[in-house]
Amino acid sequence: MRRRTQASQLAVAPGEIVLRDATRSFSIRADQARTLKEVLLNRRTTGPPPVPALRGVTLRIAPGETVGMVGRNGAGKTSTLRVLAGIIPLQSGQVACGGRTVALLELGAGFSRDFSGRENIYLGGALYGLSKAELEQRVDRIIAFSELGEFIDVPVRTYSAGMYVRLGFSIAAHLDADTLLIDEVLAVGDEAFQRKCLRRISEQIAAGRTLVLVSHDAGSIERVCERVVVMDAGQVAFDGPTAEGLLFYHRLMGTEHGSGESVRPPPDRSVEVSEVELRDGAGRASRVFRCGDPVRIVVSLRALRAVTAPRLALEVRSQDGSRVFRTGTPVELQPDGTAQLAFDIGRLGLLGGDYDLALAGHDGEEGSAFDRTVRFAVAQEHDAEGIADLRGTWEALSPVPEAGR
Amino acid sequence: MVRYRYLFSQLARRELRKKYKGSAFGVLWYLVNPIVLMGAYWFMFGVIYQKQEVHDYPIFLMVGIVVWTFFQQSLLSAAPSLLDQSGLVRKARFPREAIPAATVTVQLVIFSAVLLLFLPVAVAIRGTLTPALLLLPVLIALLYGFVLGCSMIAAILHAYFRDVEPILTAALLPWFFLSPIFFQLDTLGEVKNHPWLGTVLNWVNPIAPFINAFRSVMYGGVAPELGQLLYALAAAAVALLLGSSIFRRMQGELAVVL
Repeated sequence: MRRRTQASQLAVAPGEIVLRDATRSFSIRADQARTLKEVLLNRRTTGPPPVPALRGVTLRIAPGETVGMVGRNGAGKTSTLRVLAGIIPLQSGQVACGGRTVALLELGAGFSRDFSGRENIYLGGALYGLSKAELEQRVDRIIAFSELGEFIDVPVRTYSAGMYVRLGFSIAAHLDADTLLIDEVLAVGDEAFQRKCLRRISEQIAAGRTLVLVSHDAGSIERVCERVVVMDAGQVAFDGPTAEGLLFYHRLMGTEHGSGESVRPPPDRSVEVSEVELRDGAGRASRVFRCGDPVRIVVSLRALRAVTAPRLALEVRSQDGSRVFRTGTPVELQPDGTAQLAFDIGRLGLLGGDYDLALAGHDGEEGSAFDRTVRFAVAQEHDAEGIADLRGTWEALSPVPEAGR
Repeated sequence: MVRYRYLFSQLARRELRKKYKGSAFGVLWYLVNPIVLMGAYWFMFGVIYQKQEVHDYPIFLMVGIVVWTFFQQSLLSAAPSLLDQSGLVRKARFPREAIPAATVTVQLVIFSAVLLLFLPVAVAIRGTLTPALLLLPVLIALLYGFVLGCSMIAAILHAYFRDVEPILTAALLPWFFLSPIFFQLDTLGEVKNHPWLGTVLNWVNPIAPFINAFRSVMYGGVAPELGQLLYALAAAAVALLLGSSIFRRMQGELAVVL
C-alpha cells in the first residue's frame, strides 16, 4: 500500500548489511487516528507534512565489522537500526541484512508481563524463529548470564528496569545472531553488568559477528567498535575509523568530552578554532589544575575564507552555565591563514569544580556562539565555596577598649 | 512461516493464559454462555412465541449458537490482537500474521472443545449417528478458513483505524438476528411466500451456509446440499485470499502505527 521500491532484493552474505539511499519519514500528527477513507486510500488529507528521519542513508557493513553509531537525538540512529532490523519499511532505497539479525531496541519490548522470565526467554527466541529444541539448548546459559537467579521464575512485571535489561541482553546475546543491533538500552544496567555485556559482545565479535551499536557513551564505542558512523539530520555525516569518528562527533557536538553544551557552528564560519590545549606551569598538557596554579591556554586558529578583522573570543563558564569570565582579542593571521595564540593566567583564581572553556573565532563583530568547548577541573585545598578565589585571609582582632572607662 | 511455528504456539499459549487469568471457571464459561443463550431463545421462541414447529428445538438452536459464537468471538478478539501485541511487533521482524492467527486458533480450540462435548448429546437425542458426521472435520476446516480470513482483515484494519472494533460490535448484533440461528428459513411462512427474501437471507450472508451445513450434519443427520458446501468452500477461499492479501499489503507500517 505504501510506495515502496524494495522490490529488487539485494543479495548479501550472512552478517552483511547494505543500505542504499534509504529514506524514511514519519507523520507527526499527535492524533494517529485516520478516517477509514484515508486508510483505504492510504493517504492523509490533513495535518502537517511528515518529518524525514532518514534522508538518503547509504551504508555498507561487511560481515564481522563492529560499527558504532553516534549523533544527537533525532539524528536517525534508532530509525536506521529499526530499518536494519526489518521492523520499519523504507519509503525509497534498499535495505538488506544477511542472516539472522537480532535487535535489542526498546527496553522490555516484547516481554509478556504476566509470564515469568524463563517463559519470556522462549517467547523472545521464538520471535527470531528459533525452535523449542534450539531454545532448550540455550536457556540455562541465558539464565546464568542474566544472573537473575530465582527471579527467572517470577512474572516479569515485578522486574526493575535493570532486570529487564539483564534479561533482554542475555536473550539477544545468546541467539547466535549473524548481526547484533543494540540501541542505547545497555546504559540502564549497572556498571558490573555493562562490563559483562561488553565482554560478551567482544566474544561475539571474535566469533565473527557483525555489530552495530548505538550509544552516547564514547567510552563503550571506543572499546568495542573499529568504525564509527556519525549521523546528523538523517544523513551520514562521517563514516570511518573510530578515533577520527569520535573526534568528528565531539566537534559536531561542540565539546571535547561528550558533555557540556552542544554548539552548532556559527552561521558565519569565518575563523575556526582548530586546536585548544591547556598547559600547567611545567608546560604539560593537562585538564586538571589546582586553585592558584598558573595556566596557559594555547589556541590554534584557521581562517576558512578571506577575513578582514579576525578576532578570538574566550569564555569560562561554571557548570550552571553562568559566565565567569570573558575576553577577546584581535588576531594577526599568518600568510597561510593560521595563527597560534596563548592566553596566560598567572594564578588560576577559580575555586574547586568543573568549568567549561569556550572559544570561537570571528571576523569583526563577536557573536555569542562558540564552536569549541573544553572542560577542565579545578581542585581546591583550602576551605571556601563558590567560584572566584578572592584570596582573602582571616585575622583575629584584639578587643576595642570601651569608651569612658 | 514454517520456521516460526514455535512462535505461533507461544502466541497461542499467551492468548490462553490471558483468557484464564483471574478466572475461577476458565474454559467452562465457553460452555455456559451458549447454553444460557440457548435456554433464553428456547424459552422465547420455542415456548412463549411459538412461531414454527421445530423438533428438539434446543439442539437446533445450540448448533447455530455454537457456530456463531466461534465466528463472533474470533472477530472480536482478533481485531485488537495486533494492538495488544504491539511490543512484539516493535521488537522483531516475524510474520505478523502469526498474531491474529494465534488468536483465532485459540478460539478454534475452544470451539472444538464445546463441539466435542455437545456432539454426543445431539447425536443421542436426534439419533444422527450417520456417515454424514464424517463431513464434520471438513466443515470445521472450511469454517476455520473463513473465520481466519475475516479475522485477519479485522485485525489489520483495526491497527490503522481504531473504530473497527466498535463497528464490528455494532454490526454483529443485527447480523446475529439475520442469520439462521433460531429460525429455519424455508419453514417460515413469510419467507417461503416472499419472492426473494429467502434467497437473499440464505445467500447474501456468508455465515449462513456454514450454520446450515453444521445443522444438516449434527441435527438432521444428512449431508449438506452440494450448493451450500460449494458456497462454504468459496467463502473460505475468498476470505483467506482477501484476508492474506490485505494483511500483506498493509502490514509494513504496523510498527509505526501501533
